[in-house]
Amino acid sequence: MSYGGRRVLDRVDLDVYRGEILVLLGGSGSGKTTLLKNVLGLTKPETGSIMIHGVDITCCSRSELGAVRRHIGVAFQAAALFNSLSVEENVALPLRELTRLADSTIKLMVRLKLLAVGLSDAGSLYPPELSGGMRKRAAVARAMALDPEILIFDEPSAGLDPIVSAELDELILFLKRSFGITILVVTHEMESAFHIADRVAMLYQGRLIAVDGKEQFSGNAHPRIRQFLDRQPDARPRVAAEEFISAYLKGSTK
Amino acid sequence: MTFLEKAGQAAVVQVEDAGALTIQFWSVLRKLPRVLPIVGSRRRWRSAVQQMLEIGASALPMSGMMSLCTGFILALQSASELRKYGALEFVVALVAIGFTRELGPMITALSVSGRSASAISAEIGTMVVTEEIDALRVMGLDPVEFTLAPKYLAALVTIPCLTILSTLCGVFAGYLFLAFSMDMSLATYFHAVAEAILLRDVAFMLVKSLVFATIIVHVGCLEGLRVRGGPEAVGHATTAAVVKSTFLVIFADLGATAIFYFMGWSATA
Repeated sequence: MSYGGRRVLDRVDLDVYRGEILVLLGGSGSGKTTLLKNVLGLTKPETGSIMIHGVDITCCSRSELGAVRRHIGVAFQAAALFNSLSVEENVALPLRELTRLADSTIKLMVRLKLLAVGLSDAGSLYPPELSGGMRKRAAVARAMALDPEILIFDEPSAGLDPIVSAELDELILFLKRSFGITILVVTHEMESAFHIADRVAMLYQGRLIAVDGKEQFSGNAHPRIRQFLDRQPDARPRVAAEEFISAYLKGSTK
Repeated sequence: MTFLEKAGQAAVVQVEDAGALTIQFWSVLRKLPRVLPIVGSRRRWRSAVQQMLEIGASALPMSGMMSLCTGFILALQSASELRKYGALEFVVALVAIGFTRELGPMITALSVSGRSASAISAEIGTMVVTEEIDALRVMGLDPVEFTLAPKYLAALVTIPCLTILSTLCGVFAGYLFLAFSMDMSLATYFHAVAEAILLRDVAFMLVKSLVFATIIVHVGCLEGLRVRGGPEAVGHATTAAVVKSTFLVIFADLGATAIFYFMGWSATA
């Protein structure tokens, strides 16, 4: 996968097993979001395949893609709630649009989803009236509306304080325990990743450099993983600046 | 970059714009039945009605006032010349024909373009930035049907209505001038107006307003959907939507009027 000649993803080979939580780590610009968009069928990779429930979504028909997507729920980074709809209406949206369920059944299902994410009292509120954590929970409730087998979280902790972030981690673990959902979490929050993950994968410059259990991952000696785990700043910009200044000064003395 | 390369690059951008607008137009047109009452989805129709209120109600005072002022100015300017030849009564025909064929649709389109093209591009651009469009796709909902088609239907209904009201305001301004300057009665004035304009003028006005509605909504939507990056891109999209839709409205008006003229339809009875 490349944008404007720059390769964003390169030979990524990743399996996500049923019922596990796989955390995909990576720094900014590592290709996490692109990989996520590929998995959701929003963008197509130039080569390769993405198999979900036996269907290759890179070359399937629109109806097959639609059927696959029915098994996937997504909690977007910015929550992506519709501001003109209340929380209840947001959660009910996929049920109303994609099923023929009676209104009373939809209301009951929405109530159950909101209870599961701890927002039973906030159904009548509108997205702008919610805090960051509540918005994320509402997004999870909407993602769960059609009882998906796969849940995808894009940067669930982004912009949240540590307490709300920890609550969201507990919610993810609760969803896995209670519903047996397969969960893919894209994040760069190490603490959260090691708390919830069964396995951890790491992307670096578009390549998958590790896919391990969290214990093996924390002992991985790959320099980029060590740098990530030990929160070491990248030395390349400093070295480049020093080299430039040194070359400039040499030139100026001539 | 040489002049030729720059010109070529600009031409490619224009062709890309035209292609994108055409593709979007057809995909929205295909989804339009889903928005219609009875045969379509009730929720989409409700959304279209809401859009009608937003597009129509917001633009009515502005386009009405603009037409009143323009009608008065047109009557004043034409009277100052026609008075020299003792042909003040021709002001009626000038204002009536001018507004029905040209100024009514144009003033309405410009006022709606300023308000609604920017609002549409800002709304859709924000939906892109906040991943709402992606969320719709992932949920298996078609963003074209969900967001674009209701707006288009709303514009197709409201802009011709606004054009009629706007034209009436402009023509009424002509009456106000003649009532003050010639003591002309309302009945005499509207009798003269009815004699001056033809049914095909009214049909032409409505066709123009439908074309302008199409331009305004599609340019607004396209600029919104093209937003990439953060909130600052939404600002650029709204500006681009207003500039492009205004230019295209004037360009389309020129084309339509030229066709009308060369087909010989502009001759009065």
